[in-house]
Amino acid sequence: MDKIYITAASQASPGDARAAQFGARFGRLDLASQLALMAVESLGIDFDELPRERVGICLASRDGSLAADCEYWRGRGAAGGPSPALFVYTLPSAAIGELAIRHRLTGPSLCLVGPGSVLTEAADWLRRGEVEACLCVECRVITPALGEMIGSPPDAAAFALFLRRGGWRALEENERDMERLCAAFSAHTAAS
Amino acid sequence: MPESLFQCSVAIAGCGATTAVGRGVDALRSALRANASGLRAAARFDKPAFQSCVVGAAREEESGTDDPAWQLAGFAVREAREQARETLAAIPAERVGFVLSTTKANIEAMERLADHRPCSEAARRHLRGDALAADLAAAHGAGGPVQCVSVACVSGLVAIAQGARLIQRGAADAVMVAGVDHLSAFVMAGFSALKALDPAGCRPFDKERRGLSPGEAGAAVVLARAERVAAPAIAVAGWGSSNDANHMTGPARDGSGLAQAIRGALDSAGVEPGQIDYINAHGTGTPYNDAMEAAALRGVFGKNSPPISGAKGMLGHTLGAAGVVETILCVLAMQERLLPGTARLNETAEDAPAGVMKAPSPCARLDWALKLNSGFGGVNGALILHHG
Repeated sequence: MDKIYITAASQASPGDARAAQFGARFGRLDLASQLALMAVESLGIDFDELPRERVGICLASRDGSLAADCEYWRGRGAAGGPSPALFVYTLPSAAIGELAIRHRLTGPSLCLVGPGSVLTEAADWLRRGEVEACLCVECRVITPALGEMIGSPPDAAAFALFLRRGGWRALEENERDMERLCAAFSAHTAAS
Repeated sequence: MPESLFQCSVAIAGCGATTAVGRGVDALRSALRANASGLRAAARFDKPAFQSCVVGAAREEESGTDDPAWQLAGFAVREAREQARETLAAIPAERVGFVLSTTKANIEAMERLADHRPCSEAARRHLRGDALAADLAAAHGAGGPVQCVSVACVSGLVAIAQGARLIQRGAADAVMVAGVDHLSAFVMAGFSALKALDPAGCRPFDKERRGLSPGEAGAAVVLARAERVAAPAIAVAGWGSSNDANHMTGPARDGSGLAQAIRGALDSAGVEPGQIDYINAHGTGTPYNDAMEAAALRGVFGKNSPPISGAKGMLGHTLGAAGVVETILCVLAMQERLLPGTARLNETAEDAPAGVMKAPSPCARLDWALKLNSGFGGVNGALILHHG
């Protein structure tokens, strides 16, 4: 089977200093979109070198939009009802829209909800020739308010990988743990 | 992976649906023939907080369930399994996958929890789309790969494409693809805040159109390798998707993103625009969406557009279920050789796509159908069906 390669990997967590570089609108995004943008920015990819309609985005949204849902619905008692600005972030795929707009990526996109990986799907797109490169992002967001509602501890992080036909190292079959791959890439870059 | 798996043909072995026009695919077929609308005023949404109370409800207003997503999806999957029983009987459970398409899963549970109303453990669990998918798969004998797709209003088309991919790459021999979203104050309040609802009810491509009408549905198709489906089968022949990269809630005015998705679908199916016999539009009835869709179709088909219609005047906008239930409408149209009309379209707008059908019309040939959806976040999807 054709080899698919990891070109770059990065991660982001709340309180990241990189937030400052995104401008005023950044503060109005939901936490998952913020983390996804920061993780992808740190990949250091020059998208000008790629045909943007041939770059896909695969998002693994472990917790869907539940954190944004919770925040939006808390505003139901406000005058005028819940915020229209928040409503768009009550979609698990909202971060795809933000990534596409920031990097002007017009290729295909996919969002899978749950703890699974999207690396298999991205590799499939590359093998079929549907894309030349694929941004893979995994978001995990459980805010304290959501955690209280669903009985889970708070958590927030995003992991990003960039897959192409060549790069740092080949993606192994059944390799799905993006957090581990980000850590391995970080160790590799530190060593080199 | 053998190269030939990428080319293996995937066909639809069974369909199931519960919608605003009734329970079962036969209710959908009757509505298709009669160009009927299931949109009605609903007392529970007749409040100042909502811009409109006209919706496509698939349940009694006072059904009282705390888990409507489970109920709607379960009905649809049962019916699709029954239609596909001969195909499924020959496939071991571990080779049957399950793909769920939803945007809000069981959001009813969040409303109940926030208001401190009773909410069962199952209903709370089904707030998570992946848990709803896993429970539906287990209840319906799908022991293969399980996925929950959520790509705004394109979810259903992407889920069908995902199901076909799982079969083509050998991860499953059959896949149940279910789409579900239910009516909720949560979603009604959001669209009301965006001023996206038509107080008179959705009128796709109409001169007086003012917005959408939310709907609810459970819809399901069973996909399988074509050789396992009795002929003449309808195949999932190709798909494409794209992003406008333009705006989070508004479509690109020039339709370039949707046109790109359509071209991708045509390429993957290996067909020319002139071969398409019918287009089922996204047709939300919002001024911008319908105009964008017309621009996209002009870009691909020029002035000679195939007949086009939209289903949201019949069913409402069923969000994560839309792509699945509207694909089922295409299947029925192909089986009946009946070009569907656009329910509730009165006077066609000047900026509507050429070829918009007001009323259903029999046709000699309906071999190739193109299904379109677009959604928040700039996403676009196109799916091509072939009646072999």
